[in-house]
Amino acid sequence: MTENPGTDGAVLLELRELSVRYRAARDELPAVRGVNLRLGAGETLGLAGESGCGKSTLAMSVLRLLPRSARVDGQVLLDGEDVAAMRWGRLRAVRWASASVVFQGAMHALNPVRKVYDQIAEPILLHDSDQRPDEPPAVRHRVHELLDQVELPAGKAEAFPHELSGGQKQRVMIAMALACDPRLVIADEPTTALDVIVQAQVLELMSRLVAEHHIGLIMISHDLSVLASTCQHIAVMYDGEIVERAPSEQLMRAPQHAHSKALAAAFPTIGDPASRFAPATSNPLPEQPSERPVGEPVLRTEELRVSFRARGGRTVRAVDGVDLEVGENEIVALVGQSGSGKTTLARTLLGLQRAESGRVLFRGTPLPTSTSGLRDYRRQVQLVLQDPTSALNPRHSVYEAVAEGPRIHGLTTDEIGRVTRALEAAELRPAERFMSALPHELSGGQKQRVVIAGALALEPAVLVADEPVASLDASVRGEILALLLRLRIELGLSALVITHDLGLAWNIADRVAVMYRGELVEVGTVEDVLLDPRHEYTRSLLAAVPGGTHRAEPANGLRH
Amino acid sequence: MSDVLTGIEQPADEEAARGAPRGSGAVRFLLGKLGSALLSLALVVVLGFLLFRMIPGDPVVTMTRGRPVSPEQLAELRERLGVDKPMWQQFVDYIGGLLRGDLGTSYLFQRPVADLLTERLGPTLLLVGTATLLAIVLGLWFGIRSAWRRNSRFDKVSTGTALTLWSMPQFWLGLLLLIAFAGVFPSGGMRYSDTPPDVFSQTLDVAYHLVLPCLTLTAAVYAQYLLVMRSSLLEEMNAEYLTTARAKGLRDDLVRRRHAVPNALLPTVTLVFLQFGMVLNGAVAVETVYSWPGLGLLTYEALSGPDLPVLQGAFLVLAAAVILMNVLADLLYRVLDPRVRAT
Repeated sequence: MTENPGTDGAVLLELRELSVRYRAARDELPAVRGVNLRLGAGETLGLAGESGCGKSTLAMSVLRLLPRSARVDGQVLLDGEDVAAMRWGRLRAVRWASASVVFQGAMHALNPVRKVYDQIAEPILLHDSDQRPDEPPAVRHRVHELLDQVELPAGKAEAFPHELSGGQKQRVMIAMALACDPRLVIADEPTTALDVIVQAQVLELMSRLVAEHHIGLIMISHDLSVLASTCQHIAVMYDGEIVERAPSEQLMRAPQHAHSKALAAAFPTIGDPASRFAPATSNPLPEQPSERPVGEPVLRTEELRVSFRARGGRTVRAVDGVDLEVGENEIVALVGQSGSGKTTLARTLLGLQRAESGRVLFRGTPLPTSTSGLRDYRRQVQLVLQDPTSALNPRHSVYEAVAEGPRIHGLTTDEIGRVTRALEAAELRPAERFMSALPHELSGGQKQRVVIAGALALEPAVLVADEPVASLDASVRGEILALLLRLRIELGLSALVITHDLGLAWNIADRVAVMYRGELVEVGTVEDVLLDPRHEYTRSLLAAVPGGTHRAEPANGLRH
Repeated sequence: MSDVLTGIEQPADEEAARGAPRGSGAVRFLLGKLGSALLSLALVVVLGFLLFRMIPGDPVVTMTRGRPVSPEQLAELRERLGVDKPMWQQFVDYIGGLLRGDLGTSYLFQRPVADLLTERLGPTLLLVGTATLLAIVLGLWFGIRSAWRRNSRFDKVSTGTALTLWSMPQFWLGLLLLIAFAGVFPSGGMRYSDTPPDVFSQTLDVAYHLVLPCLTLTAAVYAQYLLVMRSSLLEEMNAEYLTTARAKGLRDDLVRRRHAVPNALLPTVTLVFLQFGMVLNGAVAVETVYSWPGLGLLTYEALSGPDLPVLQGAFLVLAAAVILMNVLADLLYRVLDPRVRAT
């Protein structure tokens, strides 16, 4: 990467007073308001912001890929040519050949019924007039070359998307984006659905390819540290406007605009004492009592093993001899990448999955096997799911959603009082305002609070939260984490938080358990495990965190 | 760093599971489907037998209605038809006959039921086959275009027409067409008796007779296909891979043909095949209206008896056809959707 980007003077992309509005039922909703932006050839720019800030709309307007309800004003100049003024034929020729897109969910952005080869070859056959369709050897060679560039074996050309892992799909997407040697690549949240280690690999690959081919890159993300590790500059968007643009390092070190500050604070630097037990929240946290009573373990597993029968009769052991304790008044973070067995362990803890051997003990008594025993047990151990939108029944009001649990457990006395207390404990105040609301009328953070209130209504002893903030915006993330911490401090509620996010552990957890291929490879206090990792897997997890830990240089390892 | 990471990304055993030979899976799949189809057929045989024994009315009385018969003659007739035996004995005889290809003798026609069914199968296959093919082509063509230009005038007209035709009773639509085209097309039967016996004239004559029944059946059936195709394509319209395809610079019709339709076909195929029972249902009405000498008309005629052996036989053939269509749907789905192939 050059020190001073754009030294060759060529402007690759220029947005002049770009505004996009969506026609809604009655009025027009502005998504982008008067954005000016310049990107030189080979320059890399990160576009940061929360969902709904207009960053994806901005990116899609470059290739005129917006839905019909969008009204675009201003100019989009791609290589000096106004995209809005292009005829359809010219626009189709420009698409993918001049600028290509790496979409967010590679899972959905690839056609499920077509082979990888066909999908990569399609734009080559379409745009490269030298490659006539009757010349498949040359095209085949090019596809294999592209797969090689994204470090996939040539054999994957014959695979269908569902036969690839998430990381592999995203690599296919990148190979596809490079197929016609574009000068600009737009990457829309390219790593959001991937777990940390795969994310690090994909980011490294993209940075390398973009630099090698001197491609201009616009990368969109809600995670500043992801952008900082890949892009030279970062522009922060808020409510349709770019509120700050600065070199990445400067923006990370000293963000100027209030919103940039909030984004930067949302993802803590592991090892930074300022963010220990202090998730980014607007309400101050209560004082931690200086002396914490060391309680008995509330939830404990002994040599727990869970297996699944895979196709072909093989047994896959998802949880392999796990001894884990969650104490009274303690938050334990269970970390590991997807497929490590975290969720299976959680399901087994709740009695939703039968253990092959070993025991789950709640306050010293083994998990009951009878239906009624399990029901009483689940009143004590409640589950909070990842995506509140799918966890809530869209036709049930907040009151119904929260009251359902108590009704199942026959706690019918003073239902209104119980629901009110639960909602207020989940910081939905005043509770009456939310009771009749339906889920679609609430924001993502409010929905997650309703889910948590539903759990709290049963006055449980332990919460098991599966990725409770993974689907939430950066600013909401801190608030929900603060809520969990507050519940622990004020009510003494224990929690097992399953996450791939080590920053979350640093923010709120007392202890960390690192899970890898069904085994706990390292368990200890947050400080011990995250600052002085002993197991190689923990170290690689930490190395994969974009922005790194406190002592590491930002983006270390991504520049060669 | 990267060495450690690449070692971790893809669990090796997951790869191995995917590398399992596909061939054996396909054979197992096929055998499984055929096995369950045979089981369904066996259940249909049992159900058919019981069902027609539960119909009220003594077949012997029906057959001899209006004729002076003595109790001795009735008893003799009972014995000849085998209805005097206990139920289980009748069942065993029935199964035995079935295995020998003997479906009993028709009360009305005094001929073996198997012969009657074989004779009537051809015309029905011709009518149902032609109408189904036409309905699929029309339904998919209009369905795809309606969805692609949703809420356009084309969509409103084609969907509206389809809904109107769908909601009409088939016999009524048949009668309307019969009246409207009286004189233009023959009003019934499959061929004129005075047509020269050469193949060309015969074919032309049958085709001429086929027009109205086929039109009626197609009109009633294509609407469902249109609506199913339309709604499954609408489901795909917002799919992200279509944005990818557009971003690649594909023409709109290529986006539709190469990307949207292959995906939207998946639910459509299943429904088209599952709706086959409805088509047969329609065939009974249409064949009756146009006196088309097929299984539908035979069933209708047998009902007036009731001619139990014929009804039982027709029931068996029609049920077998529906079961066969279900097996075909499963097989075709496997060809169309690579994700199903993997399981």
